[in-house]
Amino acid sequence: MSGSNVWSRTREKMRLFPELFAQCANEAAVYGKCVAATTTGTQELRKDLCAKEFEALKICFTNAVSASVSNCHTESSV
Amino acid sequence: MSILTLRSLSGISQNRRMNVFSREMKQRQKDWAAQLQDSQQYDYLRQEVGSRVADRAAGPTFHTEVVERFCLTDVSQQSLRRMRPSEIPTHCVLADEEFLPFKENTFDLVVSSLALHWINDLPGALRQIHQVLKPDGVFIGAMVGGETLYELRCSLQLAETEREGGFSPHISPYTAVTDLGNLLGQAGFNMLTVDIDDIQVHYPGIMEVMTDLQGMGESNCAWNRKSLLHRDTILAAAAIYKEMYGSEDGSIPATFEILYMIGWKPHESQAKPAKRGSATASFGDLSKTGRPSGTDQP
Repeated sequence: MSGSNVWSRTREKMRLFPELFAQCANEAAVYGKCVAATTTGTQELRKDLCAKEFEALKICFTNAVSASVSNCHTESSV
Repeated sequence: MSILTLRSLSGISQNRRMNVFSREMKQRQKDWAAQLQDSQQYDYLRQEVGSRVADRAAGPTFHTEVVERFCLTDVSQQSLRRMRPSEIPTHCVLADEEFLPFKENTFDLVVSSLALHWINDLPGALRQIHQVLKPDGVFIGAMVGGETLYELRCSLQLAETEREGGFSPHISPYTAVTDLGNLLGQAGFNMLTVDIDDIQVHYPGIMEVMTDLQGMGESNCAWNRKSLLHRDTILAAAAIYKEMYGSEDGSIPATFEILYMIGWKPHESQAKPAKRGSATASFGDLSKTGRPSGTDQP
């Protein structure tokens, strides 16, 4: 395609997603369980019902992103 | 009087014309997917379904003694260019499946594999297929149905509800297997056969599912699709998908429910249901049949 644009940069970021996500497996499982519980129990799912669990997941993920970005910077000095 | 006539004319074309999908968008998506460097790696589903359709048609291969000529149509020019040459003379036609550019009674066999689920006017398309078939011709089709990608659909739905307070459809609507028989019958097909196959593909994660769907040219092109998926929602959906559907080895399954259909264009040679009252034996006689004597039971 024609050089770097917002789509190719977004796609590049998305490529890293699985690896970063894998580093937060525990937080992801906790959040997932919270949401999944609404499908079987009596409580209905509504906005921010599992906000606490999601925050934990988001923080873990953001940390993983910044860790990988700093890794990239040190490696790209080749 | 003339107003009444007009009304009845529009009534013939089945009430309002359904317009669920943007055909132009679908063409662009297919063109994009076909020109990818490694586009063959996304072909696995199409190949698997294609071989199952071919089995139903004539066994694993079409031979030149049986088939005189192929006519291939696709809405995407790039997809047509990707077609491998075969020993059977093949005609490539750039056409929209909703507007088949062929005369009536042209074909002995029409095959459609994984294309009908993006058609707006499915009853109309089936009628057109019926028209271009010769009498005693057969239509064999495979399309994705009802339960396809339910894991992805549910994960996105739950994630969007929890994160954004509501959800919009990301998976396109599918035909239910119960409707398919009616649709084929209304289009004029005889001797219908409809059956379902579930293909489950395992992926490392939700991103791979979505990337592969894109690579197959199967991204959503419904008019009501939301073009943006928030990063938080993707993260949430990934977690939910894994938790609710994940397997022990860490992979996640994606279900493709494939509906296969076979229908024949009517012809006098085809067997018809027997007339009422023409039975020559009674079901009651079945109880009178005795076991053969002197045979060894295995």
